Amino acid sequence: MLRRAVLQTFRQGLAQSFFKRNAVSLSETTVTHQPIETSNEADEKSVSKQKPGDESGNTVVVAPPEFRFMYPEFLPDPAMERRNRLKEKLERIDMLQRRSVVEIPEFYTGSVMAVTVADANSPNKFARFVGICIQRGGSGLRAWFILRNVVDKQGVEILYEMYCPLIQKIEVLRLERRLDESLLYLRDALPEYSTFPLDMEPERRLNNSVVPINPLKVKLRPRPWLERWERQNLQGVEDLNLPQRFYDKAEKVAKPWEKYDLMLQYRKTIPAEEQEKIFADVHSQLQQQEFKRKIRRQHSALNDSHMVRVGRDANPNQTRISGSIVPSCMLSSAGDMTFRLETYHY
Amino acid sequence: MNQADLSKLVSALRIAVKPKPRRFSCPEGPAGRLEKLRATVTALVKYERIELNHPRAEEAQGYAERLISDAIRNGDCHKHTMEMADYWLNEKQLVHKLFKVLAPRYQNYNSSFTRLVLGPKTYPGYYVGTAILELKGNPFPALQPETHNYHYWLHNVLLEEAKKEFRSARQDRNAGTTESVTAES
Repeated sequence: MLRRAVLQTFRQGLAQSFFKRNAVSLSETTVTHQPIETSNEADEKSVSKQKPGDESGNTVVVAPPEFRFMYPEFLPDPAMERRNRLKEKLERIDMLQRRSVVEIPEFYTGSVMAVTVADANSPNKFARFVGICIQRGGSGLRAWFILRNVVDKQGVEILYEMYCPLIQKIEVLRLERRLDESLLYLRDALPEYSTFPLDMEPERRLNNSVVPINPLKVKLRPRPWLERWERQNLQGVEDLNLPQRFYDKAEKVAKPWEKYDLMLQYRKTIPAEEQEKIFADVHSQLQQQEFKRKIRRQHSALNDSHMVRVGRDANPNQTRISGSIVPSCMLSSAGDMTFRLETYHY
Repeated sequence: MNQADLSKLVSALRIAVKPKPRRFSCPEGPAGRLEKLRATVTALVKYERIELNHPRAEEAQGYAERLISDAIRNGDCHKHTMEMADYWLNEKQLVHKLFKVLAPRYQNYNSSFTRLVLGPKTYPGYYVGTAILELKGNPFPALQPETHNYHYWLHNVLLEEAKKEFRSARQDRNAGTTESVTAES
């Protein structure tokens, strides 16, 4: 009892112990938002919690549990040799600062997105690319994602760094998830699975609270392939129909014990207490930014309608570019994209 | 730079975790490493205090802590935790012990659940030496005597007062002699 009383004088300690005590009760509620792979995990309410006050009387805000899926780049690289708390804190401040200028929406692997980048060499000074997000990675300011599309029968992938100052706008045209976390197999799939029209309009979702999981199973082209897909336990691919020797070799090479290796899992993850701390820190700022954007959008909608009434022709197709064009002297050297052309064979 | 794995929520461990795991030589290769550690973790949960070689003890400590922290965080109705307990504990009655005895025991702990004490290095023998790995709160007598010396123990309180008294008495004596000296001069 004495020990617990001592712990309760610290606000964060209280929040953590409160959350831990309630972790089991939270897991009993139904899931709406989680992908198929984590159906056993974190079945929690998707509502921002306002905890009752601690002994000092201040309310403790804790971010909703699905924040770690929406903003995975805020979590640091789990490798122990590269952890540096101060560096991570400064990076988070910079990330929030960038997010206040450019809206970086929630997206997942499998979402169709459009990215507008400042390009000095193009006639419009902007370059827009539409594609499906096949992979995302990196942590902190180096967070990246790869968009893939097939343009004039040529497969094209572009890696964008999310916090690059060249990026003017990121739109999510279709927000959905797929059965796998990495869709690199689209490179070996039939082209229709990677083709999206470059003038695609953003799709409206009927149900805003749930991100749908597209159960599409993709058909691959005949071999040779870029990777040994039969060894990767892919959910989103149709039956590969390979000779048995491939599956035998895959079994021989497989490491089934890694599923039970608790320390391997631990070294790849950030502990839950740290995640809570990070997202509690970040959550309030993100909420404020979301609120300001909503207000701005409402104001601009009102202004547009006002202009129409007065008789000025407001062009509805003109895209508003949030964020300014950065002069070349201020561009960061790290903010480059890599352009990967793929030869397409039939 | 990699992104952290999001599929599982794990509690922070309160032991020093090294960045790289140790490899153990076994005829089955990497598959055998987990088999060996399984036997160690089962023995630890069964006997609550075991003596073994230091490297295996350190690795097994990590796995035991992870197992117990998962049991506390998720409880026995969680499918993944039950799978892990089923794999790591070779005797099935120990699965009951983990969830019914150990999880409640360590529910409110703010420290680690295990203790690793270095044991004797007998010559000739294994150079790295032995270690004793035990679960805290076990019924056996303590391995290391308590060497604390708290200020609020009675004999310490009395000693402090005695010291103060002695010092003040000495000061008075010194003051008296210096006064008499100055008076004489």
